[in-house]
Amino acid sequence: MMKQKRTIIPASIAIAVAGLALAVAVPGNASAQSATSRAAADDVSVKGAFDPDDGIARDTRPETPAGVEAKKRYSPYAGRKYPTRVFFGDTHHHTANSGDAFMAGNRLTPEQSYRFARGEEVVSSSGVPAKLSRPLDFLVISDHAEGLGVMLQVYDGNPAFASDPTLERWGKAMKAGGQEAAATMRELVSAQAQGKLPAPVKDPKVVVPIMKSVWQEYTATAEKFNDPGRFTAMIGFEWTSVPGGNNLHRNVLFRDNKDKADQILPFSSWQSEDPEKLWDWMDKYEQKTGGKLLAIPHNANLSNGRMFELVDFAGKPLSKDYAERRARWEVLQEMMQTKGSSETHPALSPNDEFADFGIAGWEYGNLTLEDKPLSRDMMPTNYLRWGLLQGLMQESKLGVNPFKFGFIGGTDVHNSLTSIEEDNFYGKHVDQEPSPTRWEHVAKQGFGKTRYNWHYTAAGYAAVWATENTREALWDAMKRKEVYATSGTRMTVRLFAGWDFTPDDARSRYVAETGYAKGVPMGADLPKLPAAGKAPSFLIAAMKDALGGNLDRIQIVKGWLDKAGKPQEKIYNVAWSDAQRRKTGNDGKLPPVGDTVDVAHATWTNTIGASELVGTWKDPDFDQSVRAFYYARVIEIPTPRWTAYDAFRFGIKMPPEVPMKHQERAWTSPVWYTPS
Amino acid sequence: MVKRLFKEPLLHFLALAIAVFVAYGVFNRFEAGKPDEIVITESRVDRLAAQFAAIWQRPPTSAELKNLIDDYVKEEIFVREALALGLDKDDTIIRRRLRLKMEFLNSAETATLTPTDAELEKYLKDNPDKFEIEPAYAFVQVLLSPDLHGDRIDQDAAAVLQVLRTKLSVDPGELGDATLLPRKLEFTGKASISQTFGPAFADALDKIAPGQWTGPVESDFGLHLVRITEHQAGRAPALAEVRNVVEREWANEKRKAIEEQRLATLLTRYRITMEAKPKGAPRLANGP
Repeated sequence: MMKQKRTIIPASIAIAVAGLALAVAVPGNASAQSATSRAAADDVSVKGAFDPDDGIARDTRPETPAGVEAKKRYSPYAGRKYPTRVFFGDTHHHTANSGDAFMAGNRLTPEQSYRFARGEEVVSSSGVPAKLSRPLDFLVISDHAEGLGVMLQVYDGNPAFASDPTLERWGKAMKAGGQEAAATMRELVSAQAQGKLPAPVKDPKVVVPIMKSVWQEYTATAEKFNDPGRFTAMIGFEWTSVPGGNNLHRNVLFRDNKDKADQILPFSSWQSEDPEKLWDWMDKYEQKTGGKLLAIPHNANLSNGRMFELVDFAGKPLSKDYAERRARWEVLQEMMQTKGSSETHPALSPNDEFADFGIAGWEYGNLTLEDKPLSRDMMPTNYLRWGLLQGLMQESKLGVNPFKFGFIGGTDVHNSLTSIEEDNFYGKHVDQEPSPTRWEHVAKQGFGKTRYNWHYTAAGYAAVWATENTREALWDAMKRKEVYATSGTRMTVRLFAGWDFTPDDARSRYVAETGYAKGVPMGADLPKLPAAGKAPSFLIAAMKDALGGNLDRIQIVKGWLDKAGKPQEKIYNVAWSDAQRRKTGNDGKLPPVGDTVDVAHATWTNTIGASELVGTWKDPDFDQSVRAFYYARVIEIPTPRWTAYDAFRFGIKMPPEVPMKHQERAWTSPVWYTPS
Repeated sequence: MVKRLFKEPLLHFLALAIAVFVAYGVFNRFEAGKPDEIVITESRVDRLAAQFAAIWQRPPTSAELKNLIDDYVKEEIFVREALALGLDKDDTIIRRRLRLKMEFLNSAETATLTPTDAELEKYLKDNPDKFEIEPAYAFVQVLLSPDLHGDRIDQDAAAVLQVLRTKLSVDPGELGDATLLPRKLEFTGKASISQTFGPAFADALDKIAPGQWTGPVESDFGLHLVRITEHQAGRAPALAEVRNVVEREWANEKRKAIEEQRLATLLTRYRITMEAKPKGAPRLANGP
């Protein structure tokens, strides 16, 4: 077992706190009147007049990126090539065309999925009207490739399926609906995991023609709703490999339109459960069509340590070829969705006081709670933070990092409704749509443990820094990993890394310009170390969701290999709200931000926290001879969880183990440092 | 009474008719050399071969083709016998299938619907809310964050507004607090503005006169001083601007209407009654 050093910094360095750094507008003690009169005396610029430290800061504060003259910068928005706006969407979404979704009662087609995502009101499969608080910018419908559209046919009594007793029973249960249908759906997921699906649904003679018509109808619907500049309907599907219940699922996303996507049928895990075979297929697609694909694995947390296992599917140690191919195709990992968070586990990161988020219930075992319970020794290859560390170790061995991925969010909803707002949560499956009893239904049992519906998390969103809202631009941003994951909030986060960021940059009024001019954005590699003695520095800024909770803090999570090649992790607080009152303790930890949640009424107030935070941070422990990665985590103040809204609206009481509030967050894609 | 009945000519006629029918049936059924006929047409064989090729990406060998034909014959015989035995009755799966085929008839009809321009124009006119082009704004804004100004925020906002209105040489980008919110927004639709700045801010823009620095406008981020530089009111679009969307929505509506209408027509041929009065009568109940 790898030993880790888990130190926490005694005091956070470079506390370029927003509260101080941003106090540039009007001095607290000087009257606004005198500020304006001083402004009048300075015809060139009034910036100094609004600076609390006046002359000193006026000279030292860099207002512009290096080499850009202030006078030329009045319109810094014209003609710039970098992304100026973040787009929010869902990369992981199922409709009635997915077998398990259909069996659980979903009757809504891709058309309704798009309408809902664009902000229209839709009646859910359980008969409840549903509408988003605000539209999404994009949606990837990623129905399971396995038997795409087939369960719909089982239900509708395609004679090819009627002869099979299991399928006949499933068909009846689906018609019965409710819990009976949900139980059947879980049986299907298990049967798939164990390779025990009824023969007719895997018979290509029967299935291929159905798949083809369903796929092409889907791509046609996507074309109909794709509205470049306003709403992107990106084409995709899910490859659902789940050997023994261990989740190795991947979503495959197309940069292309229908003309290319229709030249193939989605690759299914019935053809192969080996990810390398999926990459072969993706490669063939690109060669055949000239199109572009990428794959996003999800729910590493339910893989029983197999997501980042150090052998290939056949059990052989990873090769350089494997590493190259995985790094090429799998540029992102899903950080969080309705089935919990995959960042890390408290047992793996005991010094991370925020590590228990989205863990409860999902740590019992794999997707189907079969095979084995999750044990401590599986964890280092079961979560993303440690997956990145495994990547660094593999890179020292193979020369290529197989696990060099960014973070993105998705929902994995199976009811055609990307409705993961805490106060507007329609659950993952149809049987989890709003009802007074949904929280207590049993989702899965195994190893003496029960996964209840209340364990499901209303999460998460994909945030994409694209130059425009089109299939191509969004896909390109994903490919360069300029994306981040959120637990369902739409907060804005910028992260830049370089060698020359200074605390003054946090006071820049043009964070993006400064960031791109002096460094690289999230998802990139740090430029080459310019000179010995330098250390990586970061500029990070975050802004709250317009309808969400205020911000508690910005943190940097660093992972590296020490001199002995052992993986290490450490968390640094970079900027936080109420910094005058909240000081870092001797243990390196900050006092909690506070809590305004009124659980009984499912409300909170933004009277604590900050609407924006910005800070710079320079790695105080940098060793230029070892590999490292850095990512930012931005945490909101406590807000009510979906269970609190249910308890309030339905007037019910839930037992104390059901969490009623939490701190939503965002995780940026990492930046990597590689010694030259 | 019974005697009289036996003398009834109608009864004679009926008895005779039954005898003829039975004799014909028996005779016909067992007549050698006249079984039910199954003709394997050339087009049937072609279709079987094509289905095979679609899956396996090659034509079937002659042995495989023979198997396909045998399988087809077997299926055809079983289907006919099953129908003769009435096995299709009360079978939920077959009922579902038949229903689905009826629904397919609908969608086949609606799939080829091509609207005329006049139809689209009318649909566009009848549904202005559906296609309205939302208001759009381009603006410059200066933010004052409550985190930094506390109780003085109203006073400070007034002071900054004074500067903005009187000092034309001022770069608004240098006033107020640093923020990730765009200080200057190119021409953008209201919904998108609302996503970034929140709905209260977006609604407030509707009430602001363009050209002049005004405010403060409140949002969840703080107080904003705003100057609208370009403004376009919401308006009904011309068909050419939104043709694709109108076509999509028109076809959707049409499909629903045709389905409803077809069902309504069929419904006139049925009387639907309830033995027991349910809590909520079904939508389609039209009987007493």
